[in-house]
Amino acid sequence: MNELSASSRITYRAVMVRPGVARRIRGLSDRTLAWLFITPTIVLLLAINIFPLLWTIYLSFTNYRANRANVPTIWLGADWYQSILTDPDIWAAMQVTAHFVIWTVVIETVLGFGLAYLIDKKFRGHGMWTTIILLPMMLSPAVVGNFWTFLYQPQIGLFNYVVAFFTGRAASSFQMLGDVTLSPWAIVIVDTWMWTPYVMLICLAGLRSIPDYIYEAAEVDRASKWRQFWSITLPMALPFIMLAVLFRGIENFKMFDMVNLLTGGGPGSTTEVASITLKRAAFESWRTGYSSAFAIILFVTVFGLANIYVKALNKVKSR
Amino acid sequence: MAEVEINAVSKAFGKTQALSDLSLTVGDGEFVALLGPTGAGKTTALRLIAGLEQPDCGSIRIDGRSVTGDAPADRDVAFVFQQYSLYPHLTVFENMAFALRAPTRRVPEADIHAKVQEVARLLHIETKLDNKATQLSGGQMQRVAIGRALVRSPSIYLMDEPLSSLDAKLRGELRLELKRIQVDLGATILYVTHDQTEAMTMASRIGVIEGGRLMQIGTPREIYENPINAHVAARLGQPTINLLPAALFAGAPVGVETIGARTEHLTIARGGGDISATVKRVEHLGDQSHLHLDLAGRPVVTLADPEAGFGAGDVVSLRLNEPLFFDAKGWRVAA
Repeated sequence: MNELSASSRITYRAVMVRPGVARRIRGLSDRTLAWLFITPTIVLLLAINIFPLLWTIYLSFTNYRANRANVPTIWLGADWYQSILTDPDIWAAMQVTAHFVIWTVVIETVLGFGLAYLIDKKFRGHGMWTTIILLPMMLSPAVVGNFWTFLYQPQIGLFNYVVAFFTGRAASSFQMLGDVTLSPWAIVIVDTWMWTPYVMLICLAGLRSIPDYIYEAAEVDRASKWRQFWSITLPMALPFIMLAVLFRGIENFKMFDMVNLLTGGGPGSTTEVASITLKRAAFESWRTGYSSAFAIILFVTVFGLANIYVKALNKVKSR
Repeated sequence: MAEVEINAVSKAFGKTQALSDLSLTVGDGEFVALLGPTGAGKTTALRLIAGLEQPDCGSIRIDGRSVTGDAPADRDVAFVFQQYSLYPHLTVFENMAFALRAPTRRVPEADIHAKVQEVARLLHIETKLDNKATQLSGGQMQRVAIGRALVRSPSIYLMDEPLSSLDAKLRGELRLELKRIQVDLGATILYVTHDQTEAMTMASRIGVIEGGRLMQIGTPREIYENPINAHVAARLGQPTINLLPAALFAGAPVGVETIGARTEHLTIARGGGDISATVKRVEHLGDQSHLHLDLAGRPVVTLADPEAGFGAGDVVSLRLNEPLFFDAKGWRVAA
């Protein structure tokens, strides 16, 4: 009994020491505590996000080259911006990017929504099909890039054989990655294969958010399936579809890894999307100032387009 | 408007028998209320008539035509859902015009405008026609839901607890309006509710439904005064009928197990008597008081005049006047 009370007294004393610290913390206001918690995150954000951004803006006005750090830096003003915006090669890269973004987003949205519409019908085994469809999205872009390079092989690639089977053309008569007209479509196909499931998932969430009783009301109101689709399903799922388009648009505007692995921008510069041009200027030609300016232009473009789009999205949502 | 005839309809969901052998005829221009607790099968009955569910057996006829296997669109019914079921992305006007705009109806746009305006005025929502359906209060949304049904002239209006989500004041107002509109239009309505006041005040006939079975159907007065069993008796009347063991009272007919005593079957007098009870609690409701009594350990609730001035702890004597008698299974026994 004595032992027990002695041990409990020790515990009690040990606890007594702690409140000193606790009281000091308790003395802090909620506001101070809040700052204490978020400061590490803010510092980290400033160091790895905000500072590089500001530094890039500064570099974009100079002749700085990362491989010749000792050369004195000269202030060039907006020279790089002017030369980039008037450079036909840059505009060609922007066109390639636009082709890639527009076609992937359009095809992925149509296919993704279509798949979501089918899966939402809750047929037998729809759960298993959802999982199977989602698989490509879970792979790493590096893996996808590499194995599609094999699939596109004219001699041994499965893709060419499938096309040959359906069209009757010889499998080795065309090269998806080596042909000037086919290669822009080759990268669209791979991106569609990989990211349609993602669009489907978002659209599915939209379709599932429409309550059954709305359809029941429409059915009593004599709306045909066709009218139900156009006047209920599509308008009510539209904010979700638009969100998917936004995500895929931004993501593909900065597409680098998969295209770099598949074509590296070739043949010629037919698949050279903006980020590949940027990488070449920055890390092959080491034109750091120039590429900084290009990066800022890309950033402003994406940021501006996304902002306009989000405004439209909010309008649709508040409708 | 037309007559709707339900004949021996049953419906089960998995192992749950939602509705058993329901037969019911709603006459042309009649307002029939189905009254019952949650899960009694009321909504299922409406959904079967609307075609939103298919019956396991039995048949449904609207205006003499069998519609048992028909799709909801082919049945010419209007449905007011409990949860409004408005199209959230459309305006009030578009919601109300939706059914009229069905291509199969071929209603000219000018007629649609006129009809929607007319119904909106009837329901006092004419200033809200351009609002989004979701920008309305609960009461307004429910008016729109009712309006969406009223713009059509279907064979029957099916209403699934349309007033249950409104506050008491609004419910009272809309109840009166709905009855007025029904009389004006001569509409046939099958109305589902668990609120006895709604059923009593609006319906020309009430069907009491319990456990998927239609227990009794008749005018509100018949159901109230002449219930066929204790379940039906307990559905109507405020406060609820007191079901007491016959052994507590002398002179009950042979075979009677339970005595059903509503307020009007009980005479209360101050002081003890043959049957004495103690006042436990008095609830003042303004013009009336609810008197909670203890009768040999059994709770009894009745109404009393507030002027009588009963208080907790008072001893009163009870006398029965022509109460209702029920046998061991709860069926009515003639006095």
